[in-house]
Amino acid sequence: MTNTTVVGQSILRPDAWEKVRGGKGFPVNVSLPGMLHGKLLRSPYAHARIVKIDASAAEALPGVKAVLLPRDVPQIRFCPVFFVPTLAPSMIQDMLVMGETVRYAGQPVAAVAATSWKIAEQALELIEVEYEELPAVFTADAAMREGAPRLHADAEGNIAKNPIFEFGDLEAGFAEADHIFEGTYKTQRVHTCYMEPRVCVVDSDADGRLTVYSSMQHLFGLREKLAFALGLPESMVNVIKPPYIGGGFGGKLDIGYIEPIAALLSMKTQRPVRIEQTRYEDFITTTRNPIEVYLKTGVKSDGTFTARYARSTLDCGAHATHGAEVIMVHGMFGILLTYRCPNRTWEGRVVYTNNMIGGGYRGYGSPQGAFAVESQIDEICEALKLDPIEFRLKNAHQQGDPHPFNPGFTLSTYRFEDCLRQGAERINFSRRGKAGSGDGVLKRGIGFGCQPVWVSGCMGFPDIYEHSGAIIKLNPDGTANLSSATVDMGSGQITTLCQIAAEELGLQADQVRMTYADTETVPFDAPSHASRVTYSSGTAVKAAAANVKKRVLEVAAIMLDESTEQLEVRDGHVHSKGSGRKLSIAEVVQRAESPFVQMTAEGPKPTTIAEKGTIIGLSSLAPPSNPSPSTVEFVEVEVDTETGQVKVLRVVFAHDIGKVINPAGAEGQVEGGFQQGMGYALMENILFDQETGACLTSDFLDYKMPTAVEMQFPIESIFIESDEPTGPFGAKSLSEPCVTVPAPAIANAIYNAVGVRIRELPITPEKILAALGKL
Amino acid sequence: MSKLVTFEINGQQHEIAVEPYETLLWVLRKQSHLKGTKRGCDSGGCGCCTVHVDGKAVYSCMTFANSLEGCKVTTIEGLSQGSELDPLQTAFVEEGAVQCGYCTCGIIMTAKELLASGQALDEEQIRHGIAGNLCRCTGYTKIVKAIKKAADSR
Repeated sequence: MTNTTVVGQSILRPDAWEKVRGGKGFPVNVSLPGMLHGKLLRSPYAHARIVKIDASAAEALPGVKAVLLPRDVPQIRFCPVFFVPTLAPSMIQDMLVMGETVRYAGQPVAAVAATSWKIAEQALELIEVEYEELPAVFTADAAMREGAPRLHADAEGNIAKNPIFEFGDLEAGFAEADHIFEGTYKTQRVHTCYMEPRVCVVDSDADGRLTVYSSMQHLFGLREKLAFALGLPESMVNVIKPPYIGGGFGGKLDIGYIEPIAALLSMKTQRPVRIEQTRYEDFITTTRNPIEVYLKTGVKSDGTFTARYARSTLDCGAHATHGAEVIMVHGMFGILLTYRCPNRTWEGRVVYTNNMIGGGYRGYGSPQGAFAVESQIDEICEALKLDPIEFRLKNAHQQGDPHPFNPGFTLSTYRFEDCLRQGAERINFSRRGKAGSGDGVLKRGIGFGCQPVWVSGCMGFPDIYEHSGAIIKLNPDGTANLSSATVDMGSGQITTLCQIAAEELGLQADQVRMTYADTETVPFDAPSHASRVTYSSGTAVKAAAANVKKRVLEVAAIMLDESTEQLEVRDGHVHSKGSGRKLSIAEVVQRAESPFVQMTAEGPKPTTIAEKGTIIGLSSLAPPSNPSPSTVEFVEVEVDTETGQVKVLRVVFAHDIGKVINPAGAEGQVEGGFQQGMGYALMENILFDQETGACLTSDFLDYKMPTAVEMQFPIESIFIESDEPTGPFGAKSLSEPCVTVPAPAIANAIYNAVGVRIRELPITPEKILAALGKL
Repeated sequence: MSKLVTFEINGQQHEIAVEPYETLLWVLRKQSHLKGTKRGCDSGGCGCCTVHVDGKAVYSCMTFANSLEGCKVTTIEGLSQGSELDPLQTAFVEEGAVQCGYCTCGIIMTAKELLASGQALDEEQIRHGIAGNLCRCTGYTKIVKAIKKAADSR
């Protein structure tokens, strides 16, 4: 393991000091002189054609400065997803900012900008829309049935995308099997529940050049997609980086309607326009797609996989958006690549319905896959009386294997076995009893779930951006400013990246400060998503810091009259290994920035041309690989067999993460990730009225997520460190598997407790009681 | 019809014209430019907007501004004295209880009321005490630790 002084320390988050005092940096706080407030009028119908809109009364309302109707909006079909090129063939360009057809209840049909939000709200009530209601479908099954209303002219059977992957000979694999297992596993629609609503301020200048502030996870994606949707060159849009945003979790990885609508309203009024979504609007903006997985597995009696087949049906809602990519990640990383098996086939169907559109959410298709795969493995082990740990190891990938996703990469560090064994030891898995064997009303059980293969970014995905960049500039006081387009959505990117820069530059963590960035001044960076920032952006930051260090050594070499090979940076100084002399980095920067005669405390000193120039380092690069972390989570639960309620008692999480950059930050990811995963497993569910398509869970009173009371149990994090050769200081990734594994772990623990298998999330008390024959 | 209401915000008297529909949250954010109080849901479901009215933690999104005549309102901005932070604020930073930070100020205000009684608090009391505040990043583990630390060091 590389010897480090700053990396590997639980450095306190620099942004926390400001956040506990109010946190000025959230996009929700952006306010510009003369700013107008925008509001969207949303369709009450799930499927309808707009016959007529009369906005004259709204336009006449004092304080209303502009009304935007579908006819005012460029009719450009686009895909709103940030991390793919706009015209990526894998994605589907099926959205308009506003059009003549609405395909889900809540789709915007008009917008208003006014001097106050109240006037804007009143104006919406004055807009008269005549709709021709069309027949609607609210389930993927209904949408695929013959005679179902077609939502998009070019999607026959309402199938937006139908990918298939095949490896080996499936039929032969099933023929070879001693046992075949089948099951259908269903997951629900849930929301990321970022706490800061989606909000933006867009300011157009007289030339139509847009300055954009928004609570989102990707500066450059917002620039590209917004420009495309409006028919503008990208150079006409500048996205300002928010110092931080109030959560994202994948839910802010696409342009919503608000940014293009605010832009058009600003162009019309020549004033800045702010749109802040209500929580209801957030609940119908992005979601984790529900997927139904039919899974059929062939195994030998010793537990070796011979064949795996899965068919996944994803309800993408009214527009494909993320669904077109979620299905791929789900099929590959959620199902097919997880374990070795010579014969595998997977087919996915992305189906249009008149439900809300989907979005990104931590795990991006993998939670839906892991619930199916890890539940079924438990069923297989139970039926064949096999040890579930040895079963998984028998079928696991090995360190040194080619990466199952991209054989061009190697699993250089891969410690799945250590995750399984150390986690099992910590929770004392060997004490686990027979399923449902406990006495009494309250029954306890232990279970676990795995994410054997995951990503550190998207290197190797043909259509997904993955390069990163950074600029680091030294100040005359010896501190550094780091400027990068990476958005910190709360998961600690600022801290991690500053630690990486500080380590490379021989500075203290608090001597590197994350500073301003926008799309006009810093290099491209892919989004904060796909568990990528530590590995990919970290690689770019380290490279920029290395360039800075190189220049520091060059100037110091002249100042000391020694060769750069003799010099090294540490403790904020350049040290000579030969002479033992040292210079502070501040002295080096002051020399580089001085006029030709430098005024010093000891008097004027002549300098040379070769020393001159701001010490600044730049990088823009793609990372060398895509190392896989692996993850196992053990959960102990208690099930009340009279009420069906499930209480989590203890969680042990083991993660092969590479080098841990910030242990406390990493623990925070695990603890928060479990909360989201537990909510998914046990309680969260976005519900719609099946007659009208109206969202029934549009605030936190109806949409239940875990509070501090439900989270009262210990969560133990075991980080299994290794020195990933391609990662910055040996780091791989964390984040998403923390959310993926809780649902199958909890489902398996419930089975162990009460002996009933629930194959549909969320596992509510009603489902448990029904399975126990008590309802 | 707007109405003039006189109340204290962080120790200073304010006379503010408010509309009947305007909540304390909107008055704080818009009229008083106190942006530490956050809107998370506007329906009493998340607690991001928690402030104190006469020492009691309330959802400012559920409190009509015209009901505040003569009241004393304290926001997160009133908790620290210049650069001197409240022990709760320091504990939140030191324990790693802050991630995105959007819920942080509301939870600190709720915790401040919990700590005001001076009585010892165990983990369960803290968890029940902050059950009206949602956090989506942290799983609450480090938040509870931070509050416990501040409580124990009173």
